[in-house]
Amino acid sequence: MSIKRSLPTATLSGFALSAVLILTFLKILLQNIPTSMQRAGDSLLTLNANEGVANAVTTVVVYFRGFDTLGEIAVLFIASLGIGLMLGENERCVIKAQSNFMLHTAAQLLFPIITLYGIYVMSYGHLSPGGGFQGGVIVASGVLLLLISHRDFEVPHSFIVTLETFAGVAYVLIGLIGLFTLDVFLGNFLPHDVRQMGMLLSGGIIPIIYIIVGIKVGSEMSMIVQNLIKRGDDV
Amino acid sequence: MFEYLNQPEVIRYIVTVGSMMLLFIGLFGLLTQKHFIKIFISIATMETAVFLFFIGNMFSKDLFAPIITEGFTNVAQMNDPIPHAMILTAIVIGMAVLALGVSMTIEYFKLTGNTEIDKMNEMRH
Amino acid sequence: MIGFIVLLIFVGIIIVAFSAIIQSSLADSIILFMGVGLGSVVLFFIFKAPDVALTEAVIGAGISSLIFLMALKHLKAQV
Repeated sequence: MSIKRSLPTATLSGFALSAVLILTFLKILLQNIPTSMQRAGDSLLTLNANEGVANAVTTVVVYFRGFDTLGEIAVLFIASLGIGLMLGENERCVIKAQSNFMLHTAAQLLFPIITLYGIYVMSYGHLSPGGGFQGGVIVASGVLLLLISHRDFEVPHSFIVTLETFAGVAYVLIGLIGLFTLDVFLGNFLPHDVRQMGMLLSGGIIPIIYIIVGIKVGSEMSMIVQNLIKRGDDV
Repeated sequence: MFEYLNQPEVIRYIVTVGSMMLLFIGLFGLLTQKHFIKIFISIATMETAVFLFFIGNMFSKDLFAPIITEGFTNVAQMNDPIPHAMILTAIVIGMAVLALGVSMTIEYFKLTGNTEIDKMNEMRH
Repeated sequence: MIGFIVLLIFVGIIIVAFSAIIQSSLADSIILFMGVGLGSVVLFFIFKAPDVALTEAVIGAGISSLIFLMALKHLKAQV
């Protein structure tokens, strides 16, 4: 009677295929390393000095490529819609265990600080690194903290729906106002002075649009997080 | 040895080899693992490798961040802002797709009760 | 000095990513994936891209890993 040891064929074939692909890719890539990379943003950096906004990445995301940001918000909306449709029809499950007293008190102390930090990052996005996406997700993580420490807390559904609708409609309305007054979709129709670079009220419509993006992303992430915690299965 | 490693060609070499190794580790995990969550972790690792490759190839030692503050007003010495905007969008969309995939996994588990891709053979009969 | 730090962090990221994939316990795998995100945040900061570093820290090492952990609870996996 012979004892056969089965070769793990899946693992070995995975190793072999990966090794062949690694060697081919690295050989092609390492032969064509460029000595100096071409820069695409030189003209945009000099144009940015005329807009009066300190952060160049904010100008590129919101003003020069604002249509792509509109498409990205649409993708986030479709993802949140899909998660809400699949998980939202289960009945609301109640966490059975009472949470710890320390967690209960500490979450009540930390939630205003986290929300304030998120709003700060959102509204100073044109002066320092930050912006709407980062600030919105920070606010959503504060809501997550409150969801796992209190048993009966739920984000009110109608409030979130109102916020999200207002933010989405306002983005397109600002673009259309720019189209009617300046013949450019998302044109900068508010006064933007170069001498005010570095102040909070500078850059025209750029901080306003980024705050709108932050409100929409924050409310969508809060609904995604609540659907994943409270509506999966019985806990 | 430190002066040898500080040359721009060597740093670009290190970035290329390192991020491609991370990409192929993710590909290996995608090919051989059987649990759903491990497959999603491998996909997320591959996306992180591509972002590192993108940003790492624009690195040069005398550039600084693209934010105009006092003392840093020379526009010609700033980093390029266009790849930063593209990677920002890509990170957010990657997270959204991952969340949708995870919720589909939860629904499939409630329907049939298995979490391995070897046992997904409802369409065979 | 910068080249040496970049080399060290890349080696660390590769080791952590490889051990995240061949772990058998799922909760350990998710926490090691958070380590990959942390290493990439430090690398983005060294490459002088502060916006991308902040976004990756908040989304990659924050919400994305938390989504995996919340799914783990519903899948009733053996932790």
